[in-house]
Amino acid sequence: MADGVRAGPTYCGLGDRQDSASSTDGCSFPEYELPELNTRTFYVGAFGDLWRGRLRTVGDLSLSDPPAPRLPGCGGVADLGREDAAVARDLGCSLETAAELRAVCGLDKLKCLEEGEDPEVIPENTDLVTLGVRKRFLEHREETITIDRACRQETFAYEMESHAMGKKPENPADMIKEGELILSINILYPVIFHKHKEHKPYQTMLVLGSQKLTELRDSICCVSDLQIGGEFSNTPDQAPEHISKDLYKSAFFYFEGTFYNDKRYPECRDLSRTIIEWSESHDRGYGKFQTAKMEDFTFNDLHIKLGFPYLYCHQGDCEHVIIITDIRLVHHDDCLDRTLYPLLIKKHWLWTRKCFVCKIYTAR
Amino acid sequence: MGTPPGLQSDFEVLLSRFQETDSVRFEDFTELWRSMKFGSIFCGKMRNLEKNTFTKEALALAWRYFLPPYTFQIRVGALYLLYGLYNNQLCQPKQKIRVALKDWDEVLKFQQDLINAQHFDAAYIFRKLRLDKAFHYTAMPKLLSYRMKKKIQRTEVTEEFKDPTDRVMKLITSDVVEEMLNVHDHYQNMKNKISADKSNPDKALNLIKDDFFDTIKNTVLEHQEWHKDRKNPSFNSKDKDGEEKKEGKSQETERCERAESLAKIKSKAFSVVVQASKSRRHRQVKLDSSDSDSASGQGQTKETRKRRNKETSKPKGRKLSSRGNLQNIHKEEKSLRLSMPVITEEEEENESFSETEFMAPKKKRKHRTKSLV
Repeated sequence: MADGVRAGPTYCGLGDRQDSASSTDGCSFPEYELPELNTRTFYVGAFGDLWRGRLRTVGDLSLSDPPAPRLPGCGGVADLGREDAAVARDLGCSLETAAELRAVCGLDKLKCLEEGEDPEVIPENTDLVTLGVRKRFLEHREETITIDRACRQETFAYEMESHAMGKKPENPADMIKEGELILSINILYPVIFHKHKEHKPYQTMLVLGSQKLTELRDSICCVSDLQIGGEFSNTPDQAPEHISKDLYKSAFFYFEGTFYNDKRYPECRDLSRTIIEWSESHDRGYGKFQTAKMEDFTFNDLHIKLGFPYLYCHQGDCEHVIIITDIRLVHHDDCLDRTLYPLLIKKHWLWTRKCFVCKIYTAR
Repeated sequence: MGTPPGLQSDFEVLLSRFQETDSVRFEDFTELWRSMKFGSIFCGKMRNLEKNTFTKEALALAWRYFLPPYTFQIRVGALYLLYGLYNNQLCQPKQKIRVALKDWDEVLKFQQDLINAQHFDAAYIFRKLRLDKAFHYTAMPKLLSYRMKKKIQRTEVTEEFKDPTDRVMKLITSDVVEEMLNVHDHYQNMKNKISADKSNPDKALNLIKDDFFDTIKNTVLEHQEWHKDRKNPSFNSKDKDGEEKKEGKSQETERCERAESLAKIKSKAFSVVVQASKSRRHRQVKLDSSDSDSASGQGQTKETRKRRNKETSKPKGRKLSSRGNLQNIHKEEKSLRLSMPVITEEEEENESFSETEFMAPKKKRKHRTKSLV
């Protein structure tokens, strides 16, 4: 999966704050470093291999549609017979037992609502505490005649979360391979306002393990990229020629002691040089930092901690905190179109402001 | 969202009822499920976003009961619960159950146990969940976003669903027993080889009790029997050495019996309270009810264990003290409390007083308060 030279980090840098007697190299099993907060460093590719090794046999990894649930009457006796044989083989029981199991463990045994009963209505005489709480809430709403509608923010959040689910690509070459890892990354809003003290706004992206860091970099949409610098008082109505994104192309990611610089264009500079020189000038207490090229690395090549804040810096001084919140194997119900990744699934809600120059459009 | 309110208590009611049925059959579970109408837990006008988060939280909470340290029966109940929740949810597409890598091996071991024990319905259900692709195979059980909350919520393990910790059985496992037997035989053989008479070792080499191994085995078996009968946890003696432990246990058994008989005598004596005369009515003896409340029984504390440790080394004259109560022993019905079945007399001994002080901040016990006139 990794192409190009891999410069594995040998020091932990800022990350190590406690008694990690365990070596960071070669660790592939995610486990908590600070309970419920973040894990130790592990190698993403090896983690993927561990899961794939455990699941290869049973077809858990497959992304094809699972067989449709058996409807009574259709699918002939032969199908059922085959199913029972498979059950008998897997569990080591007899065919009769398998058939019995199919009957005993059927979904109809779990049905609690009668036909025609609306799942929206809470049934009477229920003992469940959860339902009691919910009922009180709904009754309160009824009494105070509060209209309970989905607000814009809720619709937006739900749509973002689910718009790409289950999408299949038109071109089969764009299909995600089985056993691919999906990382979910939180990218925090760069500017820290006073009102953000408790909850920092962030966007969540899903990336594939086999995608390069540069693809994530390109997909992060930040307002500082759209800035237009320069003096235009002589020609206020002239359309601007370029935005900051085109002018200042340098950027870097910082993961576990290594700075991954974007070096695709000749004008990209190494922004991390300043930091490295600063750290080496005196004994600041940080380990030796390393640099690498962003375009040579995929996410599977990284050694990272889950839940631990890292950095993305662009435009020289616009810094975003990045947290990798989750890694999992791709599932049949996910979006299976490679071209849609990195996929934005959650975006912080921005209160729009009108542009103070034109007073017509909203400011981006 | 955090855990939705009331959800944990609903789960625990269902699981404890399942535990009471003393069975692991799916039919029994479905009866409970239908009687509680558990499938309707998703009802009630939740819009899409709320439905998604609620289902995610419900599955995550039920998953916790599926992993150790819960008892086998609770884990099977949790498996059925997951099956029920997964199939009754109203989200489209269905929310999945998150499995972390570190837990997967446990899960597979559990499945193998089910197959070996021929609990085919549970194994079938697990197999079905897997075939339905109900799992997300993840790195960690929940999403980690470095939220520095003021208080980190510790996940509490419900005590009633755990196996009571049996330190004795953990120490003397069947492997250890086999090992000990081998070592003992080897030792005997060595002694035989170096002595003059090839079949019997020299008298001078008799340093251990010959039947020590059998004694240990018998003691442990006795202990197991007692364990089963009482449905109470063991005498948690922490001595590591087998011989001392054996003696400690026999000491404790004796002390137990003596304490019991003493307690019976005392209860007869103290159950009647003499009515004080009018001139002494300010010093009327009050017979406080001494029902042990659940708090005093619950969670046998480590302090008492330490106490008992000290006592094993003391001479046999001392009485064992505990948190339990007279009535405790004679009660037929007992919930799975980790309370000791031994009686206490607090007033007589200084040791117990300090114990009482020691314990006072933690427990709201009701002593027999009797002023020593």
